[in-house]
Amino acid sequence: MMSELVDLAQAAVDAARVAGADWCDAFCSDVTEVSVEVENSSINYCATIRDQGLSVRAYTRGGQGFASVQTLSLQSARECAQRAVAMSRAAHPDPDFVRLPERDEIGEVPGLFDEELAGLGADAWVRWCARGIEEARAVADDAIVQGGAGAGWGESALASSTGIAVTRRGSSASLYFFVIINRDGDVGSYYEHDQARRLADLEPEGIATKAAQQALRQLGSRPIRTARLPIILGPLATMSLVGSVIGAANAESVQRNRSYLAGREGERIASELLTVREEPHVPAGMRSSPVDGEGVPTMPRTLIDAGVLTTYLHNSYTAFKAGLAPTGHASRSGYESTVGISASNLQIQPGERTEAELIAQVDEGLYIAHAGLSPNPVTGEVSTTADFGYRIERGELTTPLSTTLIGSTADELLGGIDAISSDYREEPGFIMPSLRIVSVQVASEG
Amino acid sequence: MREMIEGILAEACRRGASFADIRVTEAEGTSIAVEDGQADKIHSSRTSGAGLRVLVNGAWGFAPTNLVTRDELRRCLDDALAMARAASGHVTDPGMVAQIQPVEATVAAQMRIDPRGVPLADRVQRIFEIERVARERDERIVNTTAGYRDAAGTLIIANTFGTWIEQEAVRCSVRVMATAQSGEVRQFATESEAGPRGYEIIDEIDAEAWAGGTADRALALLDAAPAPAGKFDVIIDPRVCGLLVHEAFGHNAEADAVWAGDSILAGHEGEKVCSELVTIVDDPSIEGLNGSFCYDHEGVPGRRQEIIQAGVLRGYLHSLETAARLSAEPNGRARAQSHQDEPIVRMSNTFIEAGESTLEQMIADTERGLLLKGGYWGYVFTARGQFTCNVENAWAIEDGKLGQHYRNASFAGLTMEMLSRVDAVGNEISFDLGGMCGKNGQSMHVDAGGPYLRIRDVVVGGQQAVGRAG
Repeated sequence: MMSELVDLAQAAVDAARVAGADWCDAFCSDVTEVSVEVENSSINYCATIRDQGLSVRAYTRGGQGFASVQTLSLQSARECAQRAVAMSRAAHPDPDFVRLPERDEIGEVPGLFDEELAGLGADAWVRWCARGIEEARAVADDAIVQGGAGAGWGESALASSTGIAVTRRGSSASLYFFVIINRDGDVGSYYEHDQARRLADLEPEGIATKAAQQALRQLGSRPIRTARLPIILGPLATMSLVGSVIGAANAESVQRNRSYLAGREGERIASELLTVREEPHVPAGMRSSPVDGEGVPTMPRTLIDAGVLTTYLHNSYTAFKAGLAPTGHASRSGYESTVGISASNLQIQPGERTEAELIAQVDEGLYIAHAGLSPNPVTGEVSTTADFGYRIERGELTTPLSTTLIGSTADELLGGIDAISSDYREEPGFIMPSLRIVSVQVASEG
Repeated sequence: MREMIEGILAEACRRGASFADIRVTEAEGTSIAVEDGQADKIHSSRTSGAGLRVLVNGAWGFAPTNLVTRDELRRCLDDALAMARAASGHVTDPGMVAQIQPVEATVAAQMRIDPRGVPLADRVQRIFEIERVARERDERIVNTTAGYRDAAGTLIIANTFGTWIEQEAVRCSVRVMATAQSGEVRQFATESEAGPRGYEIIDEIDAEAWAGGTADRALALLDAAPAPAGKFDVIIDPRVCGLLVHEAFGHNAEADAVWAGDSILAGHEGEKVCSELVTIVDDPSIEGLNGSFCYDHEGVPGRRQEIIQAGVLRGYLHSLETAARLSAEPNGRARAQSHQDEPIVRMSNTFIEAGESTLEQMIADTERGLLLKGGYWGYVFTARGQFTCNVENAWAIEDGKLGQHYRNASFAGLTMEMLSRVDAVGNEISFDLGGMCGKNGQSMHVDAGGPYLRIRDVVVGGQQAVGRAG
């Protein structure tokens, strides 16, 4: 199948060249998914989806045409290529477009495809979801459980007019539960999940238990006073913040002057305590890959080094426009998407004291487990809610939070990091410690 | 086609399904992206396929295909039945559907200008001209983008009740974004128009006012101060009102959340749940709005639903399943993003009905507060009723007069408590929030709006506490 996919992608490239494209590439995939849904503490729904499709990106005088189709056949590949070229002819020429990347040596990253996971039937995912409902109910017999499981596996191929011909196989799965406990009008709820590329790395037992335990802790939520307070971000809230800052470092937004990180490459953007590594070759890492979405080899790098932004993230267009080599950050999210920019596995360097020790040092503050703490990529400003969190009082987590907002900027949040925990949450490829930020404006009803 | 589809549905019943439906889609679309004076990305898409759903022993199974052939539909049926059977052994709350009369209908697209008939070069030029107005507005405008998208195609909906609906659908949308910079400060503004209509949407735009006005908003934000933090009386504009009613309230009224114990509205039908000044409606039958449609994706006519009437909870938004579970009439709210997704309960056009006040009265009558304008994004945790909405602008109100201009403010609260603190409702409504709503991994076309509204004691999450506004 993989050789068939790359042959099809190559046929599309050939057709695009015949139709007059200066440069072109084609991407195709054949993916199968199984998903199970839990609603109102019952298995509700089970689906299997097989999705096949192909797309072609063509350049004429630098203008980009893109076309996609939801079938895999020689005829549809050729038609798609011709459409892409027609689109590129209608586009304005782009003098900043240089070329597509050349073929290069690529390595292998093990663990991206798991036969055992791909061979698992829907029954197994249904059983794990049912087990999760039981777990949550064992913690609280009035727990209402929502959630589900999903697994996907498949193959993809990329070919280009510069000689790139890459095939990949991949698999991934996730299990998640959202538990609600409603007692006399007081509602506690919480979400927990796990994800992996290999069955051996997935831990389906215990997810719903954790969600239910935290949902119980969320009962009795209260607002706090409006004040400037220290905050501690739990692992997931930390990755929400750091991941979005990395996302704002995408070179396309920077070059177009719609990123608050424009002009700041090589400058300090965070506390010197913050170092963020990107590791695209972690075996079975969730975002591991030997190549990016354009077939350029990926490589490990330090993105933020002791608070300094070391590099923007490039695809081939932005890199060549800037006179640089591509950095291996081109991304595609399926055959219907064109090429964007994103990072792979992010690893935040842990600190020296545990999260519990960081909390113990705070007399009054907030602990935020989940929040959409993403600075606006254009302005760098943040105004959002602490979705799940707790007050910190005299070094301990106490009352869960209700209607509590954070107002700040990326610079203030990152610059105010005064501690990073030594312990961390790990998901395949990702290392997520907790962060403490010295002082942030908090608004609430108290 | 019809014989093949109906044959598959009949086979589903023979093989144990108590209900089955199939949606068959075919569509083509074009998108044009213009940035900083170059229309250098033009995209074409073709999508096609069928999604087949079965209900067997109280469990749902679903399987789609991108190839609409008899063999593929049989394969889908095998898969969907297998999925349902895999689930059915663990179902503790069996699925069900409301019984409805079959519908036989043909629906034509509502358009004056078919986008497929407009030469691509003309469409490119039009979007380029719209973007140019924003780009040339001021030297502090450092980036502008304009995006156009059209999609035209057909949707067939068939089910084991005997429904057969063939819909022709067309959609057009256009969006502009302007980024302004002064020193280290960057701000942006966006504007969009979208709907189940033809190219006339783009034709009718007054580029000078629309794109130029968007650039003006970005420029004005450069001089705005960061939003204040604290508790304020707020007056919200129709766009923010639409955001509030969709995000904070509407998701709670989706009956799948109600049935699943995941909505603060569950169990309160017939009760007063908020201010009697508030009447909230969801109506897909309003012509031309982004959330408008004739039939939902289960073949049920979309009809107006009063969710809250003068503060009293009157009903929810239903699919066939939720209507059966909650013993209600189906009101046609089940839609799916594509043939590869199952239909789920979605809002359509959600709004608060007009009242009697004017904006001028509300401002004059507010001692200290904020006027919030331009809703950007929002989300809600329906089980707790805790929501967040983010807005583009805020103006301080002191002693009945507008003052300091602020930017980027989020406000949050508990939905029903907040709606209970509404004490003035404007006398004109508008819909200005046509866009996409995300739920369970699916995006769907919706619209929202309302009048100006005043709400007391709202928490705003800004960068600096000012106590009460000002």
